[in-house]
Amino acid sequence: MLVAALDPLSPPCGGAETGLLESLAGLMDPEALEASEVMARYCRGDAAAFERLYALLAPRILAYLRGLLGDQAAAEDALQLTFLKVHEARGSFVLGANPIPWVYTIAHRTSLDELRKRKRSRVRLTKEGTLGTEPAAHLTGVSAEAQQDREDRPDPAVAARALGALDDLPENQKQALLLTKVHGRSVAEAAMITGSTPGAIKQRAHRAYLTLRQKLGRKRQRDEAPAGPDVVAAGKERR
Amino acid sequence: MSTQDSEGRGVDELLRTAGELPAPPPSPELLRKVGERRAVRTRSRLGGFVVAGLAGLVWPIVILTQSPMRPDLGALPRSWLFGGALVWGLSALAALAFALVPARGDVLPSGPRAARIALASMLALLLFALLGTASVPESLGLAQAHVTLLASSLKCGLYVFLGAAVTLATGALVLRRVLPTGGRRLGVAIGAAGGAAGGFALHFVCPLSVSAHVVFGHVGAVVLAAIAGATLFWALYDR
Repeated sequence: MLVAALDPLSPPCGGAETGLLESLAGLMDPEALEASEVMARYCRGDAAAFERLYALLAPRILAYLRGLLGDQAAAEDALQLTFLKVHEARGSFVLGANPIPWVYTIAHRTSLDELRKRKRSRVRLTKEGTLGTEPAAHLTGVSAEAQQDREDRPDPAVAARALGALDDLPENQKQALLLTKVHGRSVAEAAMITGSTPGAIKQRAHRAYLTLRQKLGRKRQRDEAPAGPDVVAAGKERR
Repeated sequence: MSTQDSEGRGVDELLRTAGELPAPPPSPELLRKVGERRAVRTRSRLGGFVVAGLAGLVWPIVILTQSPMRPDLGALPRSWLFGGALVWGLSALAALAFALVPARGDVLPSGPRAARIALASMLALLLFALLGTASVPESLGLAQAHVTLLASSLKCGLYVFLGAAVTLATGALVLRRVLPTGGRRLGVAIGAAGGAAGGFALHFVCPLSVSAHVVFGHVGAVVLAAIAGATLFWALYDR
């Protein structure tokens, strides 16, 4: 026992984790337990375990990344990168632990890297050192290329529309809302994933929720309000 | 049903639909990497803590053996001497344990929890310095030692930093593989742990029995070590 504790790297995933998983069965929900068991098999080099882990986690990690990055293509790239990092860091997994918050953490870090990269490469010069022409954009602020890309894809359906509604939220509020209200992570887990405190997560998620509710209320009012002469007159007056 | 209720329900419904998106299959590059499957040695919960703890304990003992002992060592009450060492030692161990040992079922240590424990440890050290500084006729005051508060605090502060260096370095190495977020909070705890380890050694070395000196030179240096840890880990993991 002491020798095992002294060794920072426990023996390769062996039979010991079965007992460990059984002892944790009472602490984890079935989904976390399955993910933990699949992760243990993955560490053992089981061929099918990666596919199972990917099938289990990729849809929700993609939705999280899409929510953070606001762009489907970038989210898909970040998803691949996230799983590549999971593969490379699988040696730092603790047997019997729940891998789901850990994979979210890696995805979160990957999205932050992507956002930083975007900030750095905001201005692109041509080979001659001059500014290239600005890509045409819709009034929504989405580039024509990205819009075309979106239109080319099969209907992104309800999930993508819902995620789009979060695009205007401040970054940290969006993270808190996505993790707690959309992905069902606990406040403590969300704090660990984002590197924040539980208090801050609660506050940000609440603010984001209120903003979203107001936004939805305004949208509903706009949809319901008849565009009669009064509205037009009010618009002229404001101008 | 009020408008607010219906808006709230609308937001809830919207968020519920945003949890998953159909994920693309793993990319060829990811599959190629994953294809090189082999069993890996996974991390144990306590491994990193044991390694960093041993390094953090051995190093202050090494510098202790190289330093002249305080002249009043023999005259001081044994209970105070060992009680003080216990306060410094336990503060170091508690902060380090919470920074490096994940909670049961987690892969990553919790930054907010570690930072809270580090703050509590520093508070305990401050109280000990304010209320528990012992003095015997053989002890030295600032005037007898011919030093100012500032000069003596700087000298002891450097000693604390020397003691903290190894804990900070080992902590950074241990966490390097784990890919945490919120590194600055873990850095606070590891810096405080290292500082307390240096203070532990200083408890047997510093000849000054002046509360103000212990507060500024010893505990103040632990606080600065925590800030240094936060900066270092922020630069390594959060930037």
